[in-house]
Amino acid sequence: MASNNILSPIEEELRALSPALASDFRQAAAIAIRRLSDDELTQWAHSGVTLAHYSWRSWEAASEYFRATPKVLEKLNPNELSEWSRAAVELGEAAPALATAYARSSVACLDHKSVTQVARWAISARRLYRGTWRSASLAVQLLDSGPRLLCDLSAEEADMLVRFIDILGERSYDLANHCLNLMPQVVSSLAPADRKPFLELALTMAQSAWADSRSYVERGATLLDHLQQSQRAKFLALAQSLATQDGQQIYPLYAAGAKALGQVEESNHPYLLVMAEKLADESPVASMEFLKSAPVVLERIYLDALAPWYEFGREILATNREGGEAYFRLESSRSEEVLDALSSRLELNRVGEVLRLYSKALTGVDVSIHPASALTEKGIGWVSTEHASTEGTSIYLPDVVEKYRDKDANFAVYKVFSTHQAGHLEFGSFLFRFDAPGNIFPTERIEKERNGAHDSATDMERFFNLFEERKLASDIFMMVEDTRIDYLLTREYAGIRSAYRHIQEDEVDNRPPMDWMPMRQMAMESLIRASLGSMMEEFFYPGPVAPLVKEAIETMRSVQSTEATVEDSAEATLRIYQILQRIPNVGEEPPPQKGPEERPEDSNERGEGGESEESGEEAPYESPQPVDFRGDFKPELVQLLSRLRDDQEQQNEELLQLTPEQMRELLEKSVEVDVSEEDEESLDQLLENLMKEAEDSPQGDQTTSDESTPEQEQGELPVQPHYYFYDEWDFRANDYKPRWCRIAEFPLKEGSPHFFEQTHRKYSGLVGATRRQFEMLKPELFRKMKHLLDGEDLDLDAAIEFLVEKQAGHTPPGKVYWRRNKIERDVAVVFLLDMSASTDEEIARRERRFQPTGGDSPTDVQPHLYWWANRRMDAAGPPKRIIDLEKESTVLLIKALETIGDAYGIYGFSGYGRENVEFYVIKDLNEEFSERVKSRIDSISPVRSTRMGPAIRHATTKLAANDAKVKILFLLSDGRPQDHGYGRDRTEKDYAIHDTHMALVEAKRKGIVPFCLTVDRYGHDYLKQMCEDLGYAVVADIESLPQRLPMLYRRLTQ
Amino acid sequence: MAQDYRQYAIEEYVLEQEPYYVPIGDEVELFTAAFHQKMPVLLKGPTGCGKTRFIEYMAYSLGSPMTVMRERRDTDGREEAEGLPLVTVACHEDLTASDLVGRYLLEGESTRWIDGPLTRAVKVGAICYLDEIVEARKDTTVLIHPLTDHRRILPIDKLGQIVEASDGFLLVISYNPGYQSALKDIKHSTRQRFMAMEFNYPPPDLESKIIHHESGIDEPTATQLARLGEKVRHLKEHGLSEGVSTRLLIYAGRLMNQGIPARRACQVAIVWALTDDRDVQRSIQEVVTSIFE
Repeated sequence: MASNNILSPIEEELRALSPALASDFRQAAAIAIRRLSDDELTQWAHSGVTLAHYSWRSWEAASEYFRATPKVLEKLNPNELSEWSRAAVELGEAAPALATAYARSSVACLDHKSVTQVARWAISARRLYRGTWRSASLAVQLLDSGPRLLCDLSAEEADMLVRFIDILGERSYDLANHCLNLMPQVVSSLAPADRKPFLELALTMAQSAWADSRSYVERGATLLDHLQQSQRAKFLALAQSLATQDGQQIYPLYAAGAKALGQVEESNHPYLLVMAEKLADESPVASMEFLKSAPVVLERIYLDALAPWYEFGREILATNREGGEAYFRLESSRSEEVLDALSSRLELNRVGEVLRLYSKALTGVDVSIHPASALTEKGIGWVSTEHASTEGTSIYLPDVVEKYRDKDANFAVYKVFSTHQAGHLEFGSFLFRFDAPGNIFPTERIEKERNGAHDSATDMERFFNLFEERKLASDIFMMVEDTRIDYLLTREYAGIRSAYRHIQEDEVDNRPPMDWMPMRQMAMESLIRASLGSMMEEFFYPGPVAPLVKEAIETMRSVQSTEATVEDSAEATLRIYQILQRIPNVGEEPPPQKGPEERPEDSNERGEGGESEESGEEAPYESPQPVDFRGDFKPELVQLLSRLRDDQEQQNEELLQLTPEQMRELLEKSVEVDVSEEDEESLDQLLENLMKEAEDSPQGDQTTSDESTPEQEQGELPVQPHYYFYDEWDFRANDYKPRWCRIAEFPLKEGSPHFFEQTHRKYSGLVGATRRQFEMLKPELFRKMKHLLDGEDLDLDAAIEFLVEKQAGHTPPGKVYWRRNKIERDVAVVFLLDMSASTDEEIARRERRFQPTGGDSPTDVQPHLYWWANRRMDAAGPPKRIIDLEKESTVLLIKALETIGDAYGIYGFSGYGRENVEFYVIKDLNEEFSERVKSRIDSISPVRSTRMGPAIRHATTKLAANDAKVKILFLLSDGRPQDHGYGRDRTEKDYAIHDTHMALVEAKRKGIVPFCLTVDRYGHDYLKQMCEDLGYAVVADIESLPQRLPMLYRRLTQ
Repeated sequence: MAQDYRQYAIEEYVLEQEPYYVPIGDEVELFTAAFHQKMPVLLKGPTGCGKTRFIEYMAYSLGSPMTVMRERRDTDGREEAEGLPLVTVACHEDLTASDLVGRYLLEGESTRWIDGPLTRAVKVGAICYLDEIVEARKDTTVLIHPLTDHRRILPIDKLGQIVEASDGFLLVISYNPGYQSALKDIKHSTRQRFMAMEFNYPPPDLESKIIHHESGIDEPTATQLARLGEKVRHLKEHGLSEGVSTRLLIYAGRLMNQGIPARRACQVAIVWALTDDRDVQRSIQEVVTSIFE
């Protein structure tokens, strides 16, 4: 056998390397020999030998090679085998470990791909190997995952994957290992069509933002689950176009976009993605932002209104890229405006103030409007956040109304809601008195109660005590009373009738079907429909019941009269209750009618009524579905609350106070609160909440807005900051970013008044001079002007002179009148002090820095500070910081301003980031100068950044509220505006300067004179841009600030 | 071209018809009593609630013609005319003593004294009505003090004269407590010289009667307007510094009478007239749309 001749020497050769290898070879050869020609066999064997000889450990690779051969031979023909062997040799040349891995894993790979593909792919994996053991192990790992990868990926995709891992490997082996580990699973989770774009994106990401690759591989595929299956590839392509343009923020946008789409109905995905694709031509960022904003936008507008909003943004995008991107990011006022115009949904906080005044006008009492959730949060028995309600002093409305597709219609809903609630207040629903007679019905209540009044907390409770079935009675009363209110409202307010009718009709349409209701409930339902104006005739009741229902409806209708009072409603309740009691609550077949019930008169003890026990088949009565627009009507609770409030007010008088036991009893009985009997705790909680509510219920009107005017807290307790929101100007987008910055306003903590006095003494000469100058400014209120052509009266001296002249033959000008001119100095000024960290800088150092040689930056301030602190009292003039001069100038200024009597406010500002702009009150505009102010000056100190825009805007708001004739905003700073996120990056200056400029312009538009003063001697360059035509000054000699500041101010106001 | 206006010497102008006035309480009796007792009267009340109309009515019904500023010498021979002369001075912050008492004017080569409205009223024996007295400067107000106590004299220092008030003279001032601020309040030395009568908007039933009469609008609409007035007045101090005046309600009625749709008429005559605040406007408009179809 020729073959053996070939093989034996080789086996011997191999044995020299490793006996195990030789035996592997022999076993493999035994099989190979049957399939291969001699040449082929030789080639195969030599490949193994070559492999084994590469290095001292490479016999292991050869061994693996031989061992794999039989399995490979099952799948390949001899030709293909040689291709397979070549790859192994090639890999072995690079590193035996690669060949080992190849030999080990390729068998399984061959199930999925041709040998050529497998080989080529394996060789491409060689590029991962960079001669280090880590790179080798990465490559091995790749080869080992081969079967799992190649079963899912095309050759091209597999190659992309290798490249992806390769790029990551260059950066971090850990990351590459990690990603590679996950990849097989990730890839198999993707739909075949999505794999390529997914990998493409991965590749791009690895190139532009490799660090994001981990997140992308870990979560990228799962994120795609948010999208509709068919749209994923499209989405990936979109992300790809984004990545090629701006790789930096690709993953966050990708993730946000995918998540956002997850919140949108899947069927809309294609529509949205088509839109996004169109945007991508212009700006991929915008397209992703668009997807990101989609759920928020779609919550506010309907899908068909999306197109106009989108088109508007596209137009902006076409002319101004940044503007368009901001538009789709919803960081632009225009975007908000357009959305708002397109949106049909109405939010309470937009119309709350209008509704408040409206309700106040109707009722004449100080009602406030709150979201219904505020009432439920109080935990005093109300639970629905969907329904309008009132607890006697405020009207609670749902947060949002989007019942109709038209804003006006939705407003009408709000209006009907609040009108109905206001109606309860206006027409006295809660003023029910048990003893008072009604105007329509003769009083039966008192008669009914003849067995002795049970002790009750409120009149309402006393009334409901008359009934065995409280729930039914309560339902009837609510319905009757609501009917009365509806009637009175539509009668009084003709204009609201149509809206009312519209909503009532809608309500009728939405009533549940009556077919399967038990009889009594059906009757109740009929009553409700009748109360909504529905004609009931069409409904069939069995013979004996029909007249009863009719009678009940007629009784109810009799409260539809201007004469009717809430007591009439109660009387009607009594009567309807009796009627309904005669209708058995059974389903379908009405049983033969019973005689009028012998009802126990004394019904104050609770109990589920004897009737239901008598006829076992009766269903328990269930309350009808509430009528939406009528909201939650809880007369018993409201009366209890108002009683509690009265008690609170008359605490000292010897009035009968409600005992907790009484209240407990009321609450237990009442059907208006949902307290299960075992649940003692919740009842206690409810009681407590009610007491608390009665205690701190303000009668005043609070606005719904979260920006209510802050009252200056006088207490010593740490003051809660008041928050305000301001837009910020984005000059690139040429638009405002709505509600971008949050300002926290709070008084500066108090230090010691010592500093004020000390400064005062130190500058006593200057103080005197300044004061004198300012005193000269102070005008007399009335100045007599003489020699006028017209005036209050003749100036006798001038008149005589005139006559003399005239006698002498001259023609003197007839200026012989005088007039008093009212000259008022009416100035309000706000000083804004920059309290940024840079004001910490020592002036001496600063000066040095400006010397040509001084290149070192003042990083080492600490020792100097220490030194300075020790020598503070040194008369020789210790080094000062900018902030110290700001403080001293403030002291002098206050002196001057107090002389002249101008209204002034002094504020500091600093902060970090747009959410944390801090606005410190040193002296509020309306505050009197006091020791507290003095003490606050002491604690003026450097804090953090300088976001000028919002601070200026807030100061402007304060000034605008003042009605002085001349208003001045005086900004004192030590450098350019700077803050985190105040510009594209930390080094960008334009954005901040533009925003500040815009803030100053806004102030000017509001009739305020802005003036910027800086101690930055290089201030001219940016101040010129920031203040353009507005006033500014640079004080180069910082030390002169205390002198200069009052003078500048004087000049400004003269 | 025909002269299409008529010009009166002030005293020749006489109210030919009785002004329409619906008494709300006993104000007519009170005023009549004060007139006969020569007791100065202070009328308080919000704008447009009928203070001026009341004075006109009283001047008429107390039996003198009503004019604004008349020269004494011209009044001779007109005594028999109905109605008292009524001299109305709208006070403003630049109103000086000369504006009230009189001043020298240059005439040719000499000066001539000319009586101010107050002096004229004193001489004629007219009702002198100083409207919105708080607007006048304090030094001006002091001037009326000698007229308002038992002396009933008007010193004219520039002439070195004192004028005794003639019998019919009555000083009436009005002010609107709604505007009250620390700056604009009547001094006690002034206000304690007057009998004070408080006016307020008429109750809805009377107001609807007034609106009906003055605007000629039908009664149901007049009732609705009165209701609107009542509702809007609830907003006083809550966005509105002053409730809607009867005058404005009448305007709205007149516009409707001319065929302007109700909602629109109310918008221009009431909503926009009352305030510039958008939210408040909107709220009032909502009340309007609730009441009028």
